[in-house]
Amino acid sequence: MASLAGSSIVLQPRHAGATSRVSGLKLVSFMSQRRSSLSFGLRPMPARLRISCAAKPETVDKVCEIVRKQLAVPSDKPVTGESKFAELGADSLDTVEIVMGLEEEFGITVEEDNAQNIATVLDAAELIDKLCSEKSA
Amino acid sequence: MNIRCFQRNFSAALPPLVPLQLPSPMETHLWYVLPDEVKSWGLLNQYSELLSPCEREGVNRMRGDQLKKRALLARALVRTTIARYQTNSQMNPRSLKFRKNLYGKPEVEWRDEDNFSPLPLQFNLSHTSTMIACGVTVNVPIGIDIEEKQRRTKNNLIAFAQRYFSAYEVKVLTTISDPEVQRQEFIKLWTLKEAYVKALGKGFSAVPFKTFTIRFRETTLRNFHPPGSSVSEASDIIVESFDDPTNPTNNWQFTLLEVAGSHYGAICIKKDRTAGANELMKLTVWKTVPFVEDVCVSGTDAVVDLGRIIEQ
Repeated sequence: MASLAGSSIVLQPRHAGATSRVSGLKLVSFMSQRRSSLSFGLRPMPARLRISCAAKPETVDKVCEIVRKQLAVPSDKPVTGESKFAELGADSLDTVEIVMGLEEEFGITVEEDNAQNIATVLDAAELIDKLCSEKSA
Repeated sequence: MNIRCFQRNFSAALPPLVPLQLPSPMETHLWYVLPDEVKSWGLLNQYSELLSPCEREGVNRMRGDQLKKRALLARALVRTTIARYQTNSQMNPRSLKFRKNLYGKPEVEWRDEDNFSPLPLQFNLSHTSTMIACGVTVNVPIGIDIEEKQRRTKNNLIAFAQRYFSAYEVKVLTTISDPEVQRQEFIKLWTLKEAYVKALGKGFSAVPFKTFTIRFRETTLRNFHPPGSSVSEASDIIVESFDDPTNPTNNWQFTLLEVAGSHYGAICIKKDRTAGANELMKLTVWKTVPFVEDVCVSGTDAVVDLGRIIEQ
């Protein structure tokens, strides 16, 4: 278990009805698995705090690859976790194709209400990791 | 008539917008821009002057010049088109405010302090890399979607349909033996389904594609004028929803078009009950370059109705 005393990020619960578990704390694991030990669902995070991302870098990389292929992004244009599908030129058919590609790659099923909230590569990667960990739980 | 934009001098102020008459009930206006016809940097710069700071920022975030141009033209098209329907006074397209409804569907925000009266307009936008389209109605919700006819899916088409379309739609597609025809029918079906979801305006997740079927239904039209009555076979496009009994699906009318020889376009509007049960949607289509020219293309081969097949 990594020691996070000096580097933990504490978020105030955003809703009055927040549960008493440590739901605002984003743990960054320093182990090679990079798996969050707590799952926080789809609570939105302020953009500046998302740098310590909950998605595995290999998931982000895979999503970038799938997005790059679907949208035929020229190799000189970067595709990163922060990249928004719409800004890369994705229309609705592209987005659905990307989601389908991710389902096939990771062996998951993405319901429409989750798919609708995916705007960036990071959104997709975090959802994939969440669904994968639920699958193996 | 073919006006080359770069021959005009756009360093001066833009000419006033030519006003438009509102669509009548059960009439749809469809406006489209072909980005390849807008070449003047001066004109594009003046379009960007029409945008809100937020919209301009959105355009700048698009990665690459073609995407930026497309985003810019989309905003310029919707702003100028809506502004032109203002009949009482000259509405500055720059003054229009937009917002999103509860589910994220864009709409005009009319405010009391603006110097023009609210219009009962509804609109919807769609674009591809080679066309931007805006559909406009009075009072009734509208959804439109356009796709390039040559669009290919990266995934296997039938696998995609099995994942996202209804069982009936998959059956219809799989029975088409010619792969090119199958691909075309897939794209047409996609545009119809998208147009329906956009017309409903509740977001993709409220009406998952698998929960409704869009299909052609044979109907019979009987004409009674002399010398004798004749019967025409026609095809209607209808939607059948599996799990929303509160929203009877004979409320929605569809039109499927081929536009400019290059695109399939689907328009879905809510039927206006006051206009009469058998009132069919009338459609007028213009190709436009905002501030420069409008060409009415209805009745030309730039607009082909694919949805109604009339045989005597």
